[in-house]
Amino acid sequence: MQDYIDFLAEILIDEQTIQNRIKELAKEINRDYTDKDLLLICILRGGIVFMVDLMRHITVPLQLDFMAVSSYGAGVRQSGGSVRLSLDLKTDIRGKDVLLVEDIVDSGNTIAYVLEFLQTRQPRSLKVCTLLDKEERRETPVTIHYRGFRIPNKFVFGYGLDLDEHYRNLPFVAVVDLKKYRPTT
Amino acid sequence: MQDYREFIDEVLVDEKNIEKRVAELGAQISRAYAGQELLIVCLLRGGLTFTADLTRHLTISHTLDCMSLSSYGVGQYASSGNVRVNLDLMTNIEGLNVLLVEDIVDSGRTLAHVLQMLKTREPKSLKVCVLLDKKYRREVPVEVDYVGFDVPDRYVFGYGIDIDEHYRHLRFIASADMQKYRKTL
Repeated sequence: MQDYIDFLAEILIDEQTIQNRIKELAKEINRDYTDKDLLLICILRGGIVFMVDLMRHITVPLQLDFMAVSSYGAGVRQSGGSVRLSLDLKTDIRGKDVLLVEDIVDSGNTIAYVLEFLQTRQPRSLKVCTLLDKEERRETPVTIHYRGFRIPNKFVFGYGLDLDEHYRNLPFVAVVDLKKYRPTT
Repeated sequence: MQDYREFIDEVLVDEKNIEKRVAELGAQISRAYAGQELLIVCLLRGGLTFTADLTRHLTISHTLDCMSLSSYGVGQYASSGNVRVNLDLMTNIEGLNVLLVEDIVDSGRTLAHVLQMLKTREPKSLKVCVLLDKKYRREVPVEVDYVGFDVPDRYVFGYGIDIDEHYRHLRFIASADMQKYRKTL
């Protein structure tokens, strides 16, 4: 694996800033979900790191569940088109206050589909919390209730976001210099 | 949801000690796999918190994948030991160094079965890292290569481990007095 220093263009959001923002988001969530029946849904795999850190700051009762989705055909970088559910929820969300936790909202196509799909199961409420919002890339409108950071339309990695499955464990979000990056196979 | 303070027996491992031990394991794994590519396989859902924290301490090249398993039969103790795969790996593990990351090993039945199943795919190596080892409950011999803590045969919760899907977000590992615990639906 190539050392990320070789292709790092800039650190977009450093560790401390991420952690501080997560605490603020959790505070908002704690306030809004008092006396509710909160279910956090993590979309695998990018959302894992964010969700683990976020839930540790949540003080209201919560449950946790996971979904895995993949696109038919198209690769990750060209998200769009139909979405295939590879892991469905274990929990019946009817009557629950569902908060979908995502690492990044980009085109919005996948999350819009997931929201529409979950809505058919009649949760009491259904909201979205994303660490990163790349608004410029939006193709399908999505209402985001809790947003960590708005980011420019650049190729980012770290803090759960991968580059060809690597670098998810970095504690910061950084921009790739694609001219210097060599994919590992 | 019942306040955990009403049924907590004792804190078995506090936040500081978990953090310290996870960092040690991360360093140990980084040394053991130095110069090699590693695939971390997180067993959902209990292993998630541990995996997110552990991978942040890895200094080596690695990728992450998840599996979701459940037992056939009613209840976790009434099973034949056969395991149903709800979510299989996205990665083809043939020829890869695979490290399975689990929150807890108990009877060892599930783990033994998963290891057998994954071996049929001919990984280069296949090892196991668990945060908690309940050795006294072992029914099937399983080789565990990395262990966070040995824990007594008590009902544990926190740091990714649930009781009826709650309390996963707590930052410590505690034992529960199940006579005081009331199930919430």
